Amino acid sequence: MNQNNSFELDLFHSFKEGDETAYTFFYDKYFRRIQSFSVQFIYDPDEAENLAQEALLHLWQNKENVESLNGIQAFLFTYAKSKCLNLIRHNKVKDKFKNDLLNHKERELDIEVLNSLQFDTLELTELERIIQESISELPPKTREVFIKKRFENKKNAEIAEEMEVTLKAVEAHMTKALKILKTKLSDYLFLIFILIYNN
Amino acid sequence: MTSEIIYKYLSNEASEQEVQQLFEWIEASEENKKQFISLKKTWALTALSGTISREVPVVALQPKNKIRTYFKYAAILVVLFGLGKLAFYFNERTAVSKEVVLELGDGRLEFFTEKNLNTLVNDKGELVARKFPDQIVYFGKVQDEDVLYNTLKIPYGKTFKLKLSDGTLVSLNSGTTLRYPEQFGINGNRNVYLTGEAFFEVAKDKQHPFIVHSDQVEIEVLGTRFNVSAYPEDKTVSSVLVEGSIKMSEKENPLNTVLLKPSQMAIWQNQSKKITTKNVDTSFYEAWTQGELAFNNTPFSTITKIIERTYDVEIINENAVLAKQNFTGSIKISESSVENILDLLKRDTPFNYSIEQKTITIKPIFHN
Repeated sequence: MNQNNSFELDLFHSFKEGDETAYTFFYDKYFRRIQSFSVQFIYDPDEAENLAQEALLHLWQNKENVESLNGIQAFLFTYAKSKCLNLIRHNKVKDKFKNDLLNHKERELDIEVLNSLQFDTLELTELERIIQESISELPPKTREVFIKKRFENKKNAEIAEEMEVTLKAVEAHMTKALKILKTKLSDYLFLIFILIYNN
Repeated sequence: MTSEIIYKYLSNEASEQEVQQLFEWIEASEENKKQFISLKKTWALTALSGTISREVPVVALQPKNKIRTYFKYAAILVVLFGLGKLAFYFNERTAVSKEVVLELGDGRLEFFTEKNLNTLVNDKGELVARKFPDQIVYFGKVQDEDVLYNTLKIPYGKTFKLKLSDGTLVSLNSGTTLRYPEQFGINGNRNVYLTGEAFFEVAKDKQHPFIVHSDQVEIEVLGTRFNVSAYPEDKTVSSVLVEGSIKMSEKENPLNTVLLKPSQMAIWQNQSKKITTKNVDTSFYEAWTQGELAFNNTPFSTITKIIERTYDVEIINENAVLAKQNFTGSIKISESSVENILDLLKRDTPFNYSIEQKTITIKPIFHN
């Protein structure tokens, strides 16, 4: 347990007792994460914000069911996952492509990816740690590009300009980042894979 | 080349043409699809880390090895049903179509061929499913009184995938029949009826328990992944739980019930009507869904049955020594022919065999 954890643990107890300031802390901590996760499946940033808001409201309304600090993240992501699945299944995700078959295939793949994610409390804490560690271990330039892209939602061209490199270099950094992350996570993902994957 | 397109796709900057190209690549092989899915997963999961400061690396403190042990306990449930109706089954088998056949609620029959990709409409003309050459995807819900059942029959030598209207994913093994609601009702249990072997990934829904029925036993789940094998020629029903929890009960006598823990196998005996449990390595019971045959100290008689279903052949074993032999190992179905497998087994325990059309006769070595 580090300091952060004991600080959050206090907040968690206050949250359980209905303290809104404590809730706001968790709201701020998780809002962007849920949005950033969901948008990968529903492709509409505003919709994804609505979804994140809904998830957090749901958390507040069900606070008595959340049993531990780590349970908050599991609760929120489980909600986001099932919400995304519902939206996809009920055809509420906007068509991205002119070709309807592509839209359909994309939804099928997304359903598969979502179904393969299990947000158990224990697992999530471990996963969060592995991801943070992996990102921080990326080579500096690659890390910078990755963060600008993934967390600041910048376009390749913007990143290229900011970092004074070519567009190709940005793409190469991203490809590299993704490859490294995939390798680092692969042990972990592979294990989930055997459990879930069957197609 | 491809990895750049994947990255472009993930960051939403790929053109429609590039996406088309990417999806073609994904469909080209299972391996590609796996790769893509794990990349997309990685990409989506990076959201978990929140915004990380670009300048200061976060230092990790904990040891690395915890995940593996944790995942050992996660689990999949595998169930094998057996119903001793051998003679009946084999008579029926000769009459069965070599195509996957879908029987609709109103008795219409649909055949699946390579080229027939279309949609499925119910008796009211509403779209209920999309059909693909090796897969059907259902959607929607209906009032309970409107629940209609479809029946899907998979011949020997083929496998098939099905997505039920609640989102449950079902892989069907060779020689299997599954009866299931075209659309699940709004209330009540989710009931399906199985003969043969299927792997279920049940969509979580605590209000509506998912129940797999076989002749004498039923298995109730609230949302987990498990395999059910209910081939009529087997005399047992066994179930292996990898994750979550399931309950196996005798239909006639619901008090005869067992609650399974992960990595446990429950075995139902048709004759004694008893359910016993033991610990197993679950990976052997899910291998078929990945296109593999896996044997763990498996008797040759069981292996021949599996080969018969998988490759749609008939095996006559005249080798008494071999019949008592057990084998361990795994084989990729797509990369192996029946001959490959037999040759592999032969290396362990020598025997002769001859193939005449679809009948394989196995003989002792001294017979020639």
